[in-house]
Parts: sequence; structure tokens; C-alpha cells
Amino acid sequence: MNEAAICVAMAALAVGGSLALRRSWRARGREGRGWKAAGWLLLATACLLGSATLGTARGLFTGLTIASVAVLAVVASGMVVREPRRAGRSKSLAPEPLDRKPSWWRSTLRWLLAGPIGMIAAMAVGVFWSTWTGGAEQTRLVIGGMMVPVVWGAAMAWTLADNRILRATAVLAGVALLGFGLSILKGFG
Amino acid sequence: MNAQPPTNARRKPLMSRIPAGFVQAVLKGHSALGIAFAAAIYVVCLSGTLSVFLHQFTHWENPGAEQVSQASPDTVQRALEKVVARSTSEVHHVRLAMPTTDQPFLTLDVDAQGGRTSWLADAEGEVVPLRHAWSEFLTRLHIFLHLPSAWGIFIVGMTGVALLSSLISGLCAHPRIFRDAFHLRVGGSRRLQEADLHNRIGVWALPFHLVVSLTGAFLGLTTIIVGVLGMAMFDGDTGRIYALFTPPEPPENTSQAPVLDLEPMLARLPGEGALERITVEHPTEAGAAAIFDLYDERALAGMKSIGITRTGEVYYEKDAAKASLGERVFGALAPLHFGWFGGGIVKIAYGLLGLGLTYLAVGGVKIWLVRRREKGRPAPGWERVWAAVVWGQPIALAVVALCAIIWPAWPYTVLIPVWAVICLAMLAAAAAVPARSLALFGRAATGALLVVLGLVHAVLVAGFTASPLIWAMNALLVAAGLGFSIHFFRGSQRDMGAAC
Repeated sequence: MNEAAICVAMAALAVGGSLALRRSWRARGREGRGWKAAGWLLLATACLLGSATLGTARGLFTGLTIASVAVLAVVASGMVVREPRRAGRSKSLAPEPLDRKPSWWRSTLRWLLAGPIGMIAAMAVGVFWSTWTGGAEQTRLVIGGMMVPVVWGAAMAWTLADNRILRATAVLAGVALLGFGLSILKGFG
Repeated sequence: MNAQPPTNARRKPLMSRIPAGFVQAVLKGHSALGIAFAAAIYVVCLSGTLSVFLHQFTHWENPGAEQVSQASPDTVQRALEKVVARSTSEVHHVRLAMPTTDQPFLTLDVDAQGGRTSWLADAEGEVVPLRHAWSEFLTRLHIFLHLPSAWGIFIVGMTGVALLSSLISGLCAHPRIFRDAFHLRVGGSRRLQEADLHNRIGVWALPFHLVVSLTGAFLGLTTIIVGVLGMAMFDGDTGRIYALFTPPEPPENTSQAPVLDLEPMLARLPGEGALERITVEHPTEAGAAAIFDLYDERALAGMKSIGITRTGEVYYEKDAAKASLGERVFGALAPLHFGWFGGGIVKIAYGLLGLGLTYLAVGGVKIWLVRRREKGRPAPGWERVWAAVVWGQPIALAVVALCAIIWPAWPYTVLIPVWAVICLAMLAAAAAVPARSLALFGRAATGALLVVLGLVHAVLVAGFTASPLIWAMNALLVAAGLGFSIHFFRGSQRDMGAAC
């Protein structure tokens, strides 16, 4: 079976799974449970089929990519076109962002935490991981390195949202000090 | 007696149980971060989406090049000798990219004392200069934003972190994630339409968004991460970290010698795996060596690398099967980031999802602008600036591509001012022109330029003997151009209708 045929089969499974999930979403209460299980099962099967036939990691990522496109195609197929509404105020169910009182020092500190301080704390976590975990040097470095954007991103999301800015400052400063301090103590043996 | 929670509370969906105050606070952070990085995310995502098709663009820029399905050892050797002979200064390295189904050409990149040159070889090993100004412009825009390289790559890495952070906060700020899972309502309330598009694309393509932003952030921040790790753990010697991932230098001997003979080395390569790349070190020195990278079609990263010196000694050997997890993950980062691991179908899927990710940046800002307008606090200045940023890019990129095919001798550096002038002109226009007019002009200009680009390439550059891929690319350009034009006419008719 060639790769294109496998990809088509994966796409068919993913479309089937998405349709089942949509049916479950449209159903009420317990009615949709079976469809929900079937939907996720078909999506997982699409990824597993790729993993089994195209190479473990390569097939898995191929499956995830194709499944994403398939679900979006199903979402697009259910598009509802409405009558245009005149611009103006509208009552929305969507939550509104918080209205904070403007304060220059809070804003400056918030962006410092999201930017350089968050980056330093993330670096400390990455260095700590690389220093304190066991295994091959390359693995420790790559996993530690990949933790940096993840932790920095999480710190960014948290500090820009948290109203208690001093708590965020204390946590990030503590993480940075602890991370680097413990790493220097241990060294990269 | 144990108090039972009320039935309704127990049945409430997980995401709906998140306190409203928390959602509002996270939404505030999501909004602030999105607005701060919107332009950078948009440019990086748009150029990244186009970069997925880099090999196809290289083919498109060289439509007359003879396709080589497999390069024989004799062809490879002759091509190497030709490019070394054509170099006017000492050659340090030559990188040969072997023909693949993705790029059916043998290409050679030469690093010499006088700079870098790129060549294209035919089946006989005859070489001609490779045209790649557009491809190079595009990749450098994606990787460096055409800024000085150290700053550019850091800003792109930071943009990746901001994107990753936006994905995290976007999920936390989306309590209706399951309730709205399949809603796509267009044409009614503008805010609802944009929010539906933003949320559906953001949620259902989440694996893709996470992979692309994480790998991009890591690749962009590698220099600074390696710097810090090196400083903290190797007394500032970052070279020791790079040495863990890169082949060692061959034993040095700088005395002059004939061009390295690759043919006996090629005969020694193992039968399994396909040859992907050859890196020749100092080909005219007695200490010359070559590294052969082989790949397995079923793997994300390369399969095997073998380094052989001029004397036939194997000085480096790495087998992916025996490599550490870290080495395998590191090798998979670039293919996963650019979608270069699963052939044409995955590339098309990456292209579509990349456009979706690009739209997340565009739509996110639109939601913010519409929300302000609905609240009676419109920001017409920002509306104009955003329209100029959004429409400036496709116009500038189309003009750059047009220049690259009309004047193929131009290096990519000449294309940078062309792009920059158009971007700045659009921003300058934002000072006086309303956002709606800028958007209409953007659609019309993008549409017209794409049609012209496809037709000029088909008629003047490719001719009628071009390969089906080039025909398809030109047809796609014309179709996309017509699509933008239809979008423009519909938009202008709506405006006329509203005026009447």
C-alpha cells in the first residue's frame, strides 16, 4: 500500500471521527455518548494507522496533521450563514477581558515578568533539568532546552493574567535563584 | 450524613466550572500578548507557510533545469570538480544536496573565501548557477525577519514563545470550548464570526500549532539557550555543547592536493537508506574529508552519517538507531517545523494549517478592534495600521517574487529594500486612508499581482515545456489572484450598497 493511499485512508477515518463527534455534539444528554466514543476512537485509529505504516513518530505526526485538517473541513461543512447585522453594540455570550485600573509601575513590572524575568526563570528551570537529571548528555540538554520556551510561555501567560503581581514576582525570582543556585551546586557531571 | 452536591453543579461541564474572574484575567493577558506580538506572529507565520514549499519554489525559480532522478557517482564527482574549478578563491566547504522526489535536482552550495555560491548540476555533472533569490528571501524573512541575524533569530524565537503562550492562555480563556466545538457562524455579528473562526482554528488544529510554535521557539532561541547552558555548565565553552551534536573536524593537513575523489567513498556506503546530503570539507587540501548523510523514508530525522577522510579512514560515524533520544529529537525539529517529513500530502496540510495559524493572528486583532467599536471606543488609527500590516505583506511578497523572476540575477539582498519600501508605503498610507479602503486596495492589488505573477512566469519564464508542478503552481497563483479579485468586487459592492 503506497503512502498516498495510507494518507487517504487516514483522512477518511479522521473525517468519519469528526462527523461522529459532531453528531455527539448535536445530540442531547446521554444520546451522544456512543458517538463521542466512536469519534475519538476513529481519530485515534487514524493516527495509529499512520504510526503503524509510515514509521512510529513520522506516522503519528502525519496522522495528527491530517486529522486537524479533516476536523476543520467538517467544521467548515457545518458553517451557518446569517443575515448581516448593522454595526453597533451587541450582547455577547463571550467573556470580556478584565478591566484593570491603569498603573504604569504595575504594567512595567508585568511586562518585565513576562519578558526578561520570565526568560531567566525558564532558563533556570532548563539548566536545573539538564544538570540534575540522568541519562545521555544530549538528551538532558535537548529536553532542558525545550523546557525553556514552554516554561517561558507559561510564565508569560500567567504573569500577564495574574492580578497579584508581587506574588508572580516572588515566584519567578525564587525559581530563577533556586534553579541556577542548585545547578551551580551540582555542576554538569 | 454526607451532603450531596446539587445535580446541576455535578453535571456542569469541566470548562464551565472555571471561575469567570479567572477567565477574564487570562483573556486580558491573552489580548495584551496577542496585540503586542500580532505583527511579528503574522509575518513569521505567513512566511513560514510559504517556506513549507521551499523546494517547490526552488523548482519554480529554475523551470528550465533538467530534472535528475538519481545522480550517479560519476555525475557527483564531475559536478564537485566543476564548482571547485569555477571558484575564484579557496573553497572551504561544498554541500551537495542529492536529488529527491521533493526536489529532483542535484544542487551544490560552495563556501569559499570570496563568499557563498549555489549551483545546479545536470545528469552529466555540468553546472549552472542556481536561481534562488526568492527562496532565500523567503527563508531569511521567516528566520531573521531581515534583521541582523543574531537579533532577528532571537526576535523570531521570542515570537514563537509568545505564540506558545497565547495558545496556553487561549485555551484557559475558552470556557465554551466544548459547547461551541462545531459552531461556525458567519455573516451575522462580526465579532461572533471572527471569534468562531479564531476559536475553531485555534482549538482543532492545536497539535499543529503547538508543534510549530514549540519547535520554532526552540530553534530561534537555540543560540541563547546554548549560551546560557554553556556558561552555567561548561565554564562558558559553548563549543562543547555544539560538539555533542555536530561531527568533529577531520585531521587537519592544509597542503594542496587534487579535488577530493568521492567515487570510492560512495562505493563504500551501506546499502540501506538513501543518500540525502554530502558535505565536503576543504576539497583541495590533503586533509580533505566528506560526510555522507543517509535517510530512512520512515523516520523523522536522518538515519546514518559517515565521515571519511581522503585516505579512506572513517573518522565519524553516527547511527540514528543507536543515537540518544536527545539527538533524535534534535534531528526531528526542523522537519517537524517545516512539514518536510511526509511528502506532498503533509506539505499541503501544513500549508492549509499554516494559513489557519496566520489567520489566528489576523482574526485575534480583528476581534479586539470590533470589541472596542461595539463598546463605543473605536480605534480607527489601529484599524488603519492593522489593515496596512495585513495587506502590505501579500503585496510586498508578490512584488518581490515578480522581481525575482524578471531579474533572476538579482541577489536576495536587492529584494529586501523592495519589500521594505512597500511595507513602509502601506504604513504611511495608513496615516490618511481609511482601513476599509486600505483593505479593498490590498485585496485588489494582491489579486492583480498574483494573476500577473502566474501569467508572467508561465509565458515568459517557464514556457510551454515546464513540468506539471510548475504549471500547477502558476495555475494556483492565478486562481488565488482571481479569488482575491472576487473578494475585492464583493467588498466594494457591499460598500456601494451600504452607501446607497
